[in-house]
Amino acid sequence: MVGPFARLLEMLRPDLVRFAFWLARDRAVAEDVVQETLIRAWKSREELKDQAAARSWLFTIVRREHARLYERKRLPTVDMEDASAVADPALASDGDAGLDDLRRAIMQLPDEYREPLVMQVLGGLTTTEIAAELKLTQPAVLTRLFRARNRLRVIYGLTPAEDVE
Amino acid sequence: MSGSLDCSHVRVAIGGDPHDLGPEIREHLVGCEACSRFLNETLALDGRVRSALELPLAKFRKPVQAPARRFALAASVLLAVLIGGGFWVFRPQSALAGEVVDHVRHEGGSWGAHEVLTPAEVAEVLQKAGVNFDTSMPVVYAMACAFRGHRVPHLVVQTSSGPMTVMLLAHEKVSARQEFSADGLEGVLLPAGEGAVAVLTRNGKVPDAIATNLVSGVRW
Repeated sequence: MVGPFARLLEMLRPDLVRFAFWLARDRAVAEDVVQETLIRAWKSREELKDQAAARSWLFTIVRREHARLYERKRLPTVDMEDASAVADPALASDGDAGLDDLRRAIMQLPDEYREPLVMQVLGGLTTTEIAAELKLTQPAVLTRLFRARNRLRVIYGLTPAEDVE
Repeated sequence: MSGSLDCSHVRVAIGGDPHDLGPEIREHLVGCEACSRFLNETLALDGRVRSALELPLAKFRKPVQAPARRFALAASVLLAVLIGGGFWVFRPQSALAGEVVDHVRHEGGSWGAHEVLTPAEVAEVLQKAGVNFDTSMPVVYAMACAFRGHRVPHLVVQTSSGPMTVMLLAHEKVSARQEFSADGLEGVLLPAGEGAVAVLTRNGKVPDAIATNLVSGVRW
């Protein structure tokens, strides 16, 4: 179990770092969160009965470790308008200006929209899983995801849909 | 509008999860060109969003290599165990060496570090791992990495024989010096008090004098 589990962690680590970065919007914090996640996952590895669920399991741990880090260290949150966060070189693509714009737009989404979007698109979590993790109803998650995408439609040159209450 | 659902509600459903639409939404889409177009646009947008979220990790501090070669590495480690005839004496220690190599290979970018870190930067990493380590060798890379459930200092030091990776394994025990070799990396696991130290190089064997010097600087 130990060898395959270690390999599984290493295999999923890139996306864990990405997820942590999108949560924290800070590379150093993201690295710290992922290291703590890997340690916690290692200690709890017996809880993972189905390796197919490893991805969502680890994403959930990342999210909790991120929250825990902020509670423990009382780190300042990154301001949405913080130019240095938006200008992070990690956001730069190789010559695809549209992708750069999209990354900056995602970066500037409010946490309540960005978090479920990243959980869904990058983490592959279902809206039911996201709802459980964020302690929201599924319709509330769907609305947040709709609003996140609606904001990004504008960046992508599309007309946003009419919002609903 | 088509069917029993309002277009605005259909678009919320599409915007919520364009890849998982219920039968009512699908039914609506059959008769509503505008919503079908909205779905196609959203799916295209989602592809771009996915690309945007998949950040190039080479720009992060810890570059990650493609996982495909790991299987080749695992196979080569297994082969070495099988045909090496006692190269690694005990299975747990073999596993330890294999995981050390695995970890180092996944932080391939660490070998490219050249800038000497300040003592404060190194001390911060050591503190995170709860380890003391004194060395006169310049440290050019330092991370407190997750390894087997613990924070472990992963350092690269510049030596007279080139850069060497040093992992200070406070929670691992080795009974005796063990050399290992895998896919261009030569290494040695050394007992160090209650723990162990792994030293790896890409330039031939790890010289005894350097290994001894490194171990002597460790205090758990």
